Parts: sequence; structure tokens; C-alpha cells
Amino acid sequence: MTQSPARARPARSVLAGIAAFGALGAYVLVSSVSLGLWTSLGPGPGLFPFAMGAVLASMSVLWLLQELKRPSAAGEGADGGLVLAVVGSLVLLAALLDLLGFQLGMFLFLMYHLKIRGKRGWLSALLTALAGSVGAFYAFNYGLNVALPVSSIPVLNLIGL
Amino acid sequence: MDTLNELLGGFATAMTWQNLIFAFLGCLLGTIIGVLPGVGPVAGVALLIPLTLNLDPAGSIIMLCAIFYGTQYGGTITSVLLNTPGEASSAITTIDGYAMTKIGRAGAALTLAAVGSFIGGTVATIGLVAAAKPLGELGLLVGPPEFFALMVVGISLLVALAGKSMVKALISGALGLLISMVGIDPVAGAPRFTFGMDRLLDGVSFVAVIVGVFGLSEILSYRKNAETPLVHAPGFRSLFPSRTEWRRSAPAMARGTGVGFGLGLIPGMTGSVSSLLSYASEKKFSHFRHELGRGAVEGVAGPETANNAHANAALIPLFTLGIPASPTIAVLMGAFLQQGLTPGPSLFTEHSEIAWAIIASLFIGNVLLLLLNVPLVGLWTSILRVPTPILTALILLFMVIGAYTINFSVFDVFVMIGFGLLGLALRNLDIPLAPMVLTLVLGPLMERSLRESLEISQGDFSVFLNRPISAVLIALGVLIICSPLLKFRKPKALTEDPEA
Repeated sequence: MTQSPARARPARSVLAGIAAFGALGAYVLVSSVSLGLWTSLGPGPGLFPFAMGAVLASMSVLWLLQELKRPSAAGEGADGGLVLAVVGSLVLLAALLDLLGFQLGMFLFLMYHLKIRGKRGWLSALLTALAGSVGAFYAFNYGLNVALPVSSIPVLNLIGL
Repeated sequence: MDTLNELLGGFATAMTWQNLIFAFLGCLLGTIIGVLPGVGPVAGVALLIPLTLNLDPAGSIIMLCAIFYGTQYGGTITSVLLNTPGEASSAITTIDGYAMTKIGRAGAALTLAAVGSFIGGTVATIGLVAAAKPLGELGLLVGPPEFFALMVVGISLLVALAGKSMVKALISGALGLLISMVGIDPVAGAPRFTFGMDRLLDGVSFVAVIVGVFGLSEILSYRKNAETPLVHAPGFRSLFPSRTEWRRSAPAMARGTGVGFGLGLIPGMTGSVSSLLSYASEKKFSHFRHELGRGAVEGVAGPETANNAHANAALIPLFTLGIPASPTIAVLMGAFLQQGLTPGPSLFTEHSEIAWAIIASLFIGNVLLLLLNVPLVGLWTSILRVPTPILTALILLFMVIGAYTINFSVFDVFVMIGFGLLGLALRNLDIPLAPMVLTLVLGPLMERSLRESLEISQGDFSVFLNRPISAVLIALGVLIICSPLLKFRKPKALTEDPEA
């Protein structure tokens, strides 16, 4: 991140990051105490997390002080549309994976990314999606003995999906 | 003599047709990962761990090691032909490699890089053979306090070298340690940070976290309008360097081997540091230093030799002491642990046959890569012509399969997605990811050795200072962490290590 002498205040995203890490450090510090820092046998389960919580909290404070003294420029933001599309489709796929099975779920996922987002031609999208869903399912199931999920819907299950 | 016999035994295991196929597949996949800009070796190795879960431990690690050093070879191709490094340690090769392409010597550059990589990798593997026994025996004398101190030094080095801000590197390291603590406490058996979820009792899946933080976040941070590059493979005839090019490359390869091997032994040093310092040594010692930057063969042969020597030498601390020297090696260590193998001195006593088979496979892999890389350069460049949407979709497909097959649970896919978003946030905040992956692997080992040390000393923290080795190592770790206060200045090149 390049230093920006013109900026008077730290960027909001940076402050939000510092706050999140500081809060996490504070939470870990408090939780570790209840886990037990020391037992009659020696160090307790909370000792190491306590130390890490302390590092996280103190580094957040140090980072804040650095930002207040010399604010850094905000990082170049990600493409919101891409993040939403990828994360949204992944969440949907994960949520429906056991219901639809790997082959159908992955086929729809790939078609979305190839045809709708990637604007590929029908033939190229269909062939890639079939290879990635049905092809990968058979390669993993029978070639590598790695079982990928099948559909929990009886009709789909009956036709091998 | 014992070592030689054991190495020969290792060759006998490594040269079974199954293990040869695993080594070949690893080299192939590693080269593809190296060629693809955007998928680094850390994410690449993590992504392919699930492929090896059902294999026997020797075959699995042979394949993953081949993937690891295959990425070092593959990264060169895009550096030379496209001026875009496939992975960080080939970044410096773009300078003279691409300049050689512009004057029609791309084929020679690729051949010299492959031969240099072979030499560097092979010499470092010979070093591993020589060091394995004595260092392994020394390692057996290391008790919990020394082991803890050794890990402190390793983490301190990585934190000190990772990125521009040590504060941010420490945050990254602490985050990794905290994630590694989720689950059942290894000593008392109490659940920690599980939020009442049974699925978290076994901890957060290492592979899902790494694939999310390194792989998914990379895809999420793609910029708009990424276009498929235009690339032309060099003809077969142009692959042969001239006699002058060979003569000029030889000293650069020798220097690169020395630099890469030496730095590979130091935890925290990444392959990029080795290739950068090798380039710097060419600028200082080469007779043709005035030509560097304008297509000098030394600028390709030196760094490319150094990064492969580094990659193989970095396996020495892992095999002998159980310390991963770089983020990719940390992922590799995670794979060892998943296969029930604990890297370190006990590897040679408890799983000697597997350890030597893996070492023997490094020699085989280096030969395979030389045979694969030079004649098939046209095939590798054709991968670069695959349109970005197809590549992205296929990478996402492998991520989902990889995360799902760790425990055959959709929960791990959600874990991967969550950590992908965390990785994106860390990238946007300019927080280095390397310390996190290292502490994620070392966290449980570090905590266990700390607690064992304190139990031995009945809670007396001076146990770390009363034993000479641990006292020196702790002092070294503190010195490294405090170096900014002492105003030691890092070379500019180290602070800009993209691998960190």
C-alpha cells in the first residue's frame, strides 16, 4: 500500500479491519481465561490462545496508532459483481449439493459460470460443463475411489444422478 | 554406506510403476499449475491434496512433492513467453527471459532454465541425502524446549520477511495460530472455540482453509477485463542454445545452485528471495553483467537454477527437523500429517522406507521434469490459450471437490467459502498470507512443545533460557522480531516478495 501524504484520515475499510482484529483479539482474551490459563499439572488449554489474543489485540492497537500517524491508502477494492456471483453461486451449490447430487449441481454451477457469466458459446459451455460434472463424477468415483455425493431425490437418484 | 543402501532401497520403492505414475502425474499437474498465472504453488498443492488422500502414504507424498517442484518449472514458461510470472519465484526471470523472447531466443531461454532447474534441484537433493542422517540424529536430541525455540525462530523469520509491515505479519501469524486452536485441546481434551458445533470438534480443515485463503481469494480478487493472452510457442529448432549460451550459463547455474541451496535451508526464506538474490549475484559477479536486463542468459539461468535448488533444499529442514521453511512446504507438511507421517527426525526411524522413497523420487522427478518441459513447451503454452472463464470455472470445480472430499462433508465447502472471503479481506488490507499458513500448520506442534516444556519444568518459564540451544534460538527469534527497532534495514527486494 502506498503512503498518501494528502490523506488526513485512515480509510474506512482499514479502520473496519483494525476494529475486527481488535475485537477478535479481545474476544479470544476473555474466552481464554474461562478455558483456564493454568492447572495443577501446568499450563491450561487457555494459555496459548490467551497469548495469541494478546498479540492480536496489541498489534491492532499498534496498527491503529500507525494509521492515525500516517494513514495508508485504501486497497484497490475487489470487483463486487464477481465476488457476489462467485460466492453466491458457491453457497447455492454447497446448499444444494446433497439434494441435487454432484453431477446436476455442478452442471448447473458450471453452466452459470460459462454461459451466463463467461458468455461462452452453447456448445463450448455444454461440453465443458458435462466434462466437469459427469466426467469428474465418474473419474473420481471409479478412477480414484473418491465418492462424490449423489442426489437425495429418489427420481434423480434412480437415473444415476 | 548405510545411507547409500537406504537410498537404493528408496529407489526400489520409488521406481515401482505405480510410484512412477504418481511422480509423472505430479510433474504434469505441477507444471500446469506453474504455467497458470493466478494459481500459486501454495493453493495448487492444497487443491490437489484430496486427489492423493486415497493413495498409500509414499505414493501420495511422491505425487505432492512432484507437484511442488513442478510448479517451479512451469512458472518459467509464462515468465519467458508472456512477461507474466506463473508463480512468484519466477518473477525476476521476466526481465531477461522476455527480453530473450523479443530477440527470438525464447526456446534457448526455456531450455537453459529447465537444465538449470534440473542441476539446482539435483544438487540440492544430493545435499538432502547427505544431511538427512546426521541432522536427523541431531534432531532426535532436541527436546520440547529446543523444538519450541526452533519454531519461534522459523516463524520470526517468516514474519520479519513477509511484506512491508511487521505488525500486519504478526496479525497474520496470530490468526493462523488461533485457527489451528479450534477443536479439542490436545492435552486437556477440552473443546476450544467450537461455538457448540460438533463439526468443529476435530478442528477446522487445513485444506479447506488453505484452498479458501489462497485459491478462492485469488479468484475473488481478479480484476475486470482479464483477457486470454496471445502466446506463440518457440519452434523445436530454437530450443537448442548456442555453444556461447551454454558457456555463459554454466557459472550462473553454479552460483544459482549455491544461493538457492543456502537460502533454502533457512526457514522463512521463500523461493522468490533466492531467485532475486541470484539475480543480484549475477549483477555483481557475471562477466556480462552490463548485458543483464537486455536478454542476458545469466539472468535466466541463475535465478531459475536458484529457485529449484531452493525448493529441494527447503525439504531438508522439513525432513530432518520437522520445520517447514516456506508456505508451500507448510502445506506439504499438512499433507504429511494427514497421511499419518510426522516430518522430522522420527520420520527416519519410524517410516524410513517411505522417507527414502520420497527422497529417491526427487531425483526421478527432476529427470522427468527435464524430459517433460523442453520438448513439450508447445503443449504448455497451449494451456495459456484456454479462455479465462473456462479456466476460472474449472478451478472452482476443483476447489469444491477438494474441500468436499476432505471429510465428505458440505460443511468444509462452506468453510472454504468463508476463508475465501477472509483471504480477500486480508489481501485488500495488505496483510501477508504466508505467516498465517505457516502458523496454521505449526500451531498445534508449537503449543504441544510449549506445554510439554512447561510441564517438565513445573511451570518455570526459565526452562527455555537454562538450556543453551533453546536460549540461543529464543534470543535469535527475539532479535529477528525486534530488528526494526534496532533499525536493521531489509533489502528492498525482500520487502517486495510477492510470495509472502
